Amino acid sequence: MKLAFARRTLLALALTCVAAPAFAQGKTAVFAIENTLASLDPYDTNITLDLSVCKSFYQGLYSFDKDLKVVPELALSHEVSKDGLAYTFKLRRGAKFHDGSDFNAAAVKVVFDRVTNPENKLKRFNLFSNIDSTTVVDDATVRVKLKRPFSAFINQLAHPSAVMISPAALAKHGKQIGLNPVGTGPFKFVEWKQPDYVRVARNDKYWKPGLPKIDGIVWRPVTDSNTRTAMLQAGEAHFTAPVPFEQAENLAKNPKLDMISGPGIFAQYLSMNTRVKPFDDVRVRHAINYAINKPALAKVVYSGFATPAEGPVPMGVDFATQVGRYDHNPAKARELLKAAGYPTGFATELWASNNSTAQKATQFLQQQLAQVGIKVRITLLETGQRVQQLENVQNPAEAGVRLYFAGWSSSTGEADWALRPLFATEAQPPRLQNFAYYSNPALDDLLQQALNTSDRDAKASAYRSAQELVHKDAPWAFLVTRKVAYAKAKGLTGIYQMPDNSFQFENVELQP
Amino acid sequence: MIAYIFKRLLGVLPTLLIVAVLVFFFVHLLPGDPARLAAGAEADEQTVELVRRDLGLDQPMHKQFMRFIGGVLQGDFGHSIRTKRPVIDEIADRFPYTLKLTLAAMGWSVVIGLAIGIVAAVNRNRWPDRLGMALAVSGISFPSFALGLLLITVFAVGLGWLPTVGAESWRHYILPSLTLGAGVAAVMARFTRASFVEVLHEDYIRTARAKGVPERQVVLKHALRNALIPVVTMMGLQFGFLLGGSIVVEKVFNWPGLGRLLVDAVEMRDYPVIQAEVLLFSMQFILINLVVDVLYGVINPTIRYK
Repeated sequence: MKLAFARRTLLALALTCVAAPAFAQGKTAVFAIENTLASLDPYDTNITLDLSVCKSFYQGLYSFDKDLKVVPELALSHEVSKDGLAYTFKLRRGAKFHDGSDFNAAAVKVVFDRVTNPENKLKRFNLFSNIDSTTVVDDATVRVKLKRPFSAFINQLAHPSAVMISPAALAKHGKQIGLNPVGTGPFKFVEWKQPDYVRVARNDKYWKPGLPKIDGIVWRPVTDSNTRTAMLQAGEAHFTAPVPFEQAENLAKNPKLDMISGPGIFAQYLSMNTRVKPFDDVRVRHAINYAINKPALAKVVYSGFATPAEGPVPMGVDFATQVGRYDHNPAKARELLKAAGYPTGFATELWASNNSTAQKATQFLQQQLAQVGIKVRITLLETGQRVQQLENVQNPAEAGVRLYFAGWSSSTGEADWALRPLFATEAQPPRLQNFAYYSNPALDDLLQQALNTSDRDAKASAYRSAQELVHKDAPWAFLVTRKVAYAKAKGLTGIYQMPDNSFQFENVELQP
Repeated sequence: MIAYIFKRLLGVLPTLLIVAVLVFFFVHLLPGDPARLAAGAEADEQTVELVRRDLGLDQPMHKQFMRFIGGVLQGDFGHSIRTKRPVIDEIADRFPYTLKLTLAAMGWSVVIGLAIGIVAAVNRNRWPDRLGMALAVSGISFPSFALGLLLITVFAVGLGWLPTVGAESWRHYILPSLTLGAGVAAVMARFTRASFVEVLHEDYIRTARAKGVPERQVVLKHALRNALIPVVTMMGLQFGFLLGGSIVVEKVFNWPGLGRLLVDAVEMRDYPVIQAEVLLFSMQFILINLVVDVLYGVINPTIRYK
């Protein structure tokens, strides 16, 4: 084994000395992205970026358009049974996997059976654990039975992890499918040179005629944001996201580049542990909401690439409701604190992840809260520490968290995944991310009601009430919704960063 | 000499075993749950348990330890938690890049550093000395991330002469090796100067001059050899540090080397990768020390190890 290692190292040395792959051959676009990739198996990763890259070669039954509306992709239509348990899908005919095999109902069954089997130990198990069984009706019809009604199911199928993998490739590669992806998408997987790049080439037999319009894409992970923008300016990359706010102005001045910012669905919040004093008092929670100047936060910390939150769920998520704001009002905050029995304020802890934005934001929040007499001690948590002290806490009574600054984006683009993991009683750690330890049976009921009905109006009304309830109870200080910001070469068109931070690039074109 | 080297090499094995044991317990005592980190923010408790079983982290600590040591003895370092690829592949992918960049940086910085040091020592307190030492101090005090970004801004973005990132051709090596080598060259220059100044005061130099040896030969033959001992020691240490992968330079130039792998691994509590990298780094240091010891003997036969 040691010998093999040495030999491989020598071989790699020899190869890299000889071969020098040129990047901009033909019409190949280079996309500089912010992190190294962990896996190209969409069922075994939970990183948005991995999933975005996978969208080059994988497609789902449904997908999101650039405004996060669900549109059919490999499915043509669906019907739901009266009890909301059985979904029957008509599938597109004529779509082929890159290995030449046909996409059909059997493929859907293989893919869903794989993720729902706990023996496969896949990281996306919980997203699909509501599926009871999948049956092939005929070659182009498939029926999925759910364990309980789940009206967000179509949104769940539009999630970028719910994609169709070639059953032949799955049989051949097994657990190594993440290194050898085979899908139906506009591009074919060519190579993944870790940690340097992932290269994909145009799928000549793509089922959408006339697409794709370029020869290939090179996804290049570049972790340093200054370096990413330097690559774009030097013409070595055609697209980069995210753009650091500080550099946006500079890039916008460059005549060869487009600097674009659009709406996002990433909610930045400050959660308060509602189980413990003083945050068990709703007046204190309101006071904290009033104490923070949200427009100033958006301007100071996010350089304007954020808008004050209009409620718990960011606009753009399906069923999001504009429920209102707690406008900056320190006098009212002090009054509420006094009424709650804290006329001189109190001292507490504020936790956040350790990154430069969180650092700036927590300092801003510290200053704002100090103005109403709340003395905040900031602790920035390294990832391992965060898991230990926050996410893996087994007993709510032992939770040390008080104020926690964090963010969330609903990856299904729907209200269920923007509310349930954060506010439902069942979502308290260690299960999901209800770091406010908020528990309100009325809210739990509303969320369940919405999942049980597939009637859009009934759902909308349940979600509206749910959001109003959360707004009123205020387990969070609702802060801002971040915008997406990306930059591209002028010659590159047809690419968008969507509100959920993933990319849309099927129609991408490149002029020299 | 051969017997000496062989004996030293045998001595490496127990050291590596001790390092392996220490690093295993050290990484397993770090706070943070790798299964939770690998499963991600959207996973529920049941999924985290599935991932834990998949990674073998549900086993008791002593079983995990036996598996690790047993694997190491057979040259198997397990699979990365983050990417699920064999750790040996992860390291083999990156090691050549770190090695080549280290060689490129060490190559020029040692030559330049030595030259500046000698010139400065010979012309002590005159302008070549002042200029050389001013350069050396700037080399040490200029932070490498700033130097890297400055070089990119000037030569890649501004003038367009050199590429920004990547490691495909020799042109890709210029900017990162300059950035990485600047500090080393500066350290080498200062060390060489100090050592040389001392040696130039020795009796045998006076004797050499007295018996009429040309100054050029006094410097390059009589003085250089004797001044090299501390310089070689320093060179070995610097080489060892650079081989660990420079985290800053690798980040700025997006260099696909070992430093970035280690940062990613620590962030994700990727135990197998951390363990293998630490073992590799200790082995490199031990081997470099051995080479330095052998070089001592070559430079000055009177201090050859028995």
